[in-house]
Amino acid sequence: MAAVAPPGNSAQQQETVDSVIGVARSMERLDAWCEKWGDWCNPILVKETRQALKSRQFVITFSLLLFAALSWTIIGTFSLMPAIYDTPSAPRMMLGYYFVLALPMLLVVPLAAYRSLEGEIDDGTLELLSITALSPKQIVLGKLASAMLQMLLYFVVLFPCVSYAYTLRGVDFPTTVILLGMLVIAGVMMTIVALFFAPLSRSRSGRVMMLLVVIMLLVGAEWLLGLAAFEMITNERSLLGWEDLVLVLFGVVLLVVPALGYLLLTLAAAQLTPVIENRSTKIRVSLMVVNATVVACVTLGSTDPFDGMELLLVGGTGLMLLWVLASSMLVAESAVLTPRVQRDLPQSFMARATFTWLAPGPATGLVFSTINVWLLAGIAVGAAFYYGRDGNAFALRDQKMMIQFVFAISSYLTCFLLLVYGLMRVLRRKNNPRVEVGFAALVVVAVFAALGPYGIELYLNDFLDFPYSAWQATNWVWTLYNIGDGVDCYAVIEAMGTVGVVGVLGIMFWNPALVRPRRTATPERVREEREKMDRDKMDRDKMDRDKMDRDKMDRVPSSSA
Amino acid sequence: MMHEQGKKILDANAKVELAIGDSSAAVNEAGAAQISIGNKTHSHATRELGSASLPAVHVRSEDCIEIRRLYRFFGETKAVEDVSFTVKRGHVFGYIGPNGAGKTTSMRILATLDLPSYGDSFIDGLSCVNDPELVRRRLGFMPDSFGTYRDVNCREYLDFFARAYGVTGAERNRRLSWVLGFTGTEGMASKPIRGLSKGMKQRLCLGRALIHDPSVLILDEPAAGLDPRARIDLRRMIRDLADQGKTILISSHILTELAEMCDSVGIIEQGKLLATGSVEEIQDQQVEKRELAIRVLERSNEAAAVLQALEHVGEIIIDGELLRFEFAGDMREQAELLALLFARGFPVAECTSHRQSLEDVFLQVTEGLVQ
Repeated sequence: MAAVAPPGNSAQQQETVDSVIGVARSMERLDAWCEKWGDWCNPILVKETRQALKSRQFVITFSLLLFAALSWTIIGTFSLMPAIYDTPSAPRMMLGYYFVLALPMLLVVPLAAYRSLEGEIDDGTLELLSITALSPKQIVLGKLASAMLQMLLYFVVLFPCVSYAYTLRGVDFPTTVILLGMLVIAGVMMTIVALFFAPLSRSRSGRVMMLLVVIMLLVGAEWLLGLAAFEMITNERSLLGWEDLVLVLFGVVLLVVPALGYLLLTLAAAQLTPVIENRSTKIRVSLMVVNATVVACVTLGSTDPFDGMELLLVGGTGLMLLWVLASSMLVAESAVLTPRVQRDLPQSFMARATFTWLAPGPATGLVFSTINVWLLAGIAVGAAFYYGRDGNAFALRDQKMMIQFVFAISSYLTCFLLLVYGLMRVLRRKNNPRVEVGFAALVVVAVFAALGPYGIELYLNDFLDFPYSAWQATNWVWTLYNIGDGVDCYAVIEAMGTVGVVGVLGIMFWNPALVRPRRTATPERVREEREKMDRDKMDRDKMDRDKMDRDKMDRVPSSSA
Repeated sequence: MMHEQGKKILDANAKVELAIGDSSAAVNEAGAAQISIGNKTHSHATRELGSASLPAVHVRSEDCIEIRRLYRFFGETKAVEDVSFTVKRGHVFGYIGPNGAGKTTSMRILATLDLPSYGDSFIDGLSCVNDPELVRRRLGFMPDSFGTYRDVNCREYLDFFARAYGVTGAERNRRLSWVLGFTGTEGMASKPIRGLSKGMKQRLCLGRALIHDPSVLILDEPAAGLDPRARIDLRRMIRDLADQGKTILISSHILTELAEMCDSVGIIEQGKLLATGSVEEIQDQQVEKRELAIRVLERSNEAAAVLQALEHVGEIIIDGELLRFEFAGDMREQAELLALLFARGFPVAECTSHRQSLEDVFLQVTEGLVQ
């Protein structure tokens, strides 16, 4: 048949066939690429995306978002007529779009992520997942990635509307970018917060409470961000008014926020990790990362002494609260190191000298916390000297007060941590309390340290007023109040600091095995198995590479033809 | 000095082990600590348990599953108490016991979902406590509850778990097709899980456990709530899997089914393992008496009087020509008994011996313990 067909027609047919084959090959390559990308992707992301796109919640939210955006475009535009043609009208339109977008970004998506992780626990699927090759961190990151994908979809829907509002003039480009950037970052952060709270409690009442806390936080974030957006748009407070702090703001956004996000994700993953695993080291590392980022931001602000001081106070207070919470939990960890953890302990002299403090355990936790608290105290005092060097940001009195304040808090915290350490050791003899009990113990110790001597002396004085004395040395409330009042409390601070530091050193030398645990050998059978796994992986990779090479070879003749 | 201090710490840690707290953390960690200490540490745990502590190293053997001196306490409740058994490669092991006997607890420990208060369990010589990620690669677990996801169909469900187990590319598609075919869920592949019947869900659950081609399967009550046909299908699937060389640990209440498909069984009650071995071995161990029925065509009363005088013969019930009684002797003594009747000229037409079923054995073994 082909022989009798006219030559021109045959060439045309051949061309059509070639183009069809070409398209089919391209589709095949695209399919293979998608397949490969799907394999590379976090399985939770794949599953969650499939689920989310089919879920009623997504369909309803997406439809409502579209409807609200369209409605606001029509209503807003008509309400601004005819002024819209000659006066800047962007603020009003932008504000409307902002609130339309903020609702799913700050409320719906984080709550869906919370419910998703909570659902895994409730429905028993977390157990099924925990016996797969997925790590707890992958589970949490998969949930986060899925939430971010949904955010991206909502964002893409609203993007044309925001562009339209921008063309109406009245809101400059940097403000628009900051507004949207703020919303995205807040959305991601609130999702991380929601994921952190999801596995926190396993009891029914606890879960209800956690849900309420999350809703309150999300509504609070929505309100705060809405207020900030309103201020930025209506009062024309664009980025141009914040030149002084722009570096610091970028520092906070690019350093502190990711560091806090990383810490919360690590904490969320730690809650899903079995007790036998090492959950503490990653948390300790992320705490150090937060320290470093806050210090970096404070350093960024040091160009202006007054702004620098403000930053120092805000950053210092934040870190103080973080370390009060974290250190109390670190000293409440179990002292038992499982063989699994012992196998991964540092081995060389240098590694043991430096990384041992990252190993789990209350004694290493105590040393780690003390080192960090005193290091931060040293940095804060150094900064106080730096800002007060010419007396421009600080009066000498204020400088002294701040130094005393920092040292007093560090000293008291070290002493109280020692007591919590002892208390938890006693508690752990017969029970296995959660690490959160450490914080409760710290609160109890702090309350007794303040009220105990005060109550006794008050009783001895027939309930009459009495002056501050050495007997009130443990009364941290009174000591801090005195420091704020300008009273010199160096003696008390020195005494408390010495007791604390000597106590910590005492624990280090009294019980070296507990503070510096030793590495144990990995069983031969486990080593063999791991080597086999590595070999299998290498073989698989080689097979993949060979397959890719074969595919390439197959493609070459067809393209040259 | 250092050694002494180290011993003190380990000693103190091991104390936690016997605190019988309801949190898994302490008990596990202490249990794990005990393993690392080996039998050189004179810990409280070892002293109070009163026998040899666990070896410090993994031992490779032909046994694919090994549970070694397993204890699990929930507060004051001893869910599992000193359970030890092994399952050979390619064998089906039936785990029998009433509700609350400790079957699920010990299976969960094997599946690396729970941690023992003391002792350890091994899959292919790898500790479920210390190397769970290595154990999980070769383990498929089917729990008694079925964890489902909203808005997911059967294929997507299996595909997700295949990805979660690290099965990629063409291998994943191959496994998916095989599992759908093997479990007979091909027709349901695109149907949402929520709408499936109990039987289909069980099949899918088995499919999920098989998706990464594990060498060991732990099935917790897989036949519960299934109709007879679904049970037969399940039994066939389990036998097929065993023929493929997979080692299977299965728990069930339906004892007759277990007797048919299991190479060996273990009877557990109130956390204690009362008997292990093949069904026949257990029957032989437990059978102290058999019921004999002898049909004597004439003079049955006289024959009864002769038999009654013999050793091992229980009370005889005369039912016309039929004499029924419990006989505690072995087969040789049974033959001698019949020979005696023949020698005395009794016309013995038939003799049947009723052996105890697995159910009877179970009731006998757990006698006095079932609450």
